[in-house]
Amino acid sequence: MNEPVYSATDFSAPAMVEGIAQVVEVDGKLAWLVPEQTSSCGGCASASACGAKGIGTTASRLEARRFQLVNDAGFRVGERVVVGIRENALLKASITAYVIPLATLLIAGALAQWAAGSDRVTMAAMFAGLALGLGLARLGAGRLLLRGDLAPRFIRRAGAGETCNLE
Amino acid sequence: MKEYILLMISAALVNNVILARFLGLCSFMGVTTRIDTAVGMGMATTFVITVSSMADWAVETYLLQPYGLGYLRTVTFIMVIAAAVQFTELTVKKVSPPLFQMLGIYLPLITTNCAVLGIAILLVEHKMNFIEATLFGFASSIGYSLVMVIFAGLRERLALADTPRLFAGPPIGFIVASLLALAFMGFSGMSTS
Repeated sequence: MNEPVYSATDFSAPAMVEGIAQVVEVDGKLAWLVPEQTSSCGGCASASACGAKGIGTTASRLEARRFQLVNDAGFRVGERVVVGIRENALLKASITAYVIPLATLLIAGALAQWAAGSDRVTMAAMFAGLALGLGLARLGAGRLLLRGDLAPRFIRRAGAGETCNLE
Repeated sequence: MKEYILLMISAALVNNVILARFLGLCSFMGVTTRIDTAVGMGMATTFVITVSSMADWAVETYLLQPYGLGYLRTVTFIMVIAAAVQFTELTVKKVSPPLFQMLGIYLPLITTNCAVLGIAILLVEHKMNFIEATLFGFASSIGYSLVMVIFAGLRERLALADTPRLFAGPPIGFIVASLLALAFMGFSGMSTS
């Protein structure tokens, strides 16, 4: 009878959320990278065989998400590297981008409904609240950027057969 | 006030958009391999569903109903949802390009998420007013996000479990999803008295 194997596996989330990116340009001390696709429509292993490279496709979308790293590790064009962001950075970014505008939208709507009780006034107040929330989100994103929370970090060079499904 | 709270509990838990209405199953299985991606997708979807619910209600009330254009409802709602997603994408890009680099990958997935269209059609069918429609959209998407995060947590643990080879991956995921749906059925026994 097979006994279950117990291990001291740490179930907590990893300290860094990792992903694979490809170096597409080296400009002095800076390197430009494009993240490999990590969604479930074939994954990065099929990227070279994928013919979808037009406007609005995955290829152009990934190109729009290109980012830069300081080239301390001597990257070369075409090299694949593992980059990461802090585990709570995605949560902070999501809260900044979506929760703050949504909260101001709903609070403005609730106040308008309580004060006026009219659908049109509530609607106008909600759009005003959304605009205010987007302004606050901009300030919050600026603070995250200053603290370096949104910047990806170089972790290591990716192995030859390493895919983007790191887990 | 009480009816709004009941509406939200009903939309989020009793008639959960994933586990009771079986909408949004693509993202439910596709983006729940890690908790952080599930949280990102959940928040983005919550924002888009709430905004598109408001916009869909306005289009239905001020355009489709007065001019007898009900037969164009599905097409119109799809356009409104696509516009809401595009608006969100452009706004995030404008507000903060680094945020867009981090979160932008989830947004196109929402356009093709049937939960967004399903919620818009439901709020029209139930003849809700503006506040009810907004709260219904918000609560439904909170329920969606809740289930996404719970399921992602379960799948993170399943990935480390000693699962029989034939059940590893999506098969055990579907079995766990069915057990989760059974657990959520318990909410249908809630009473307000």
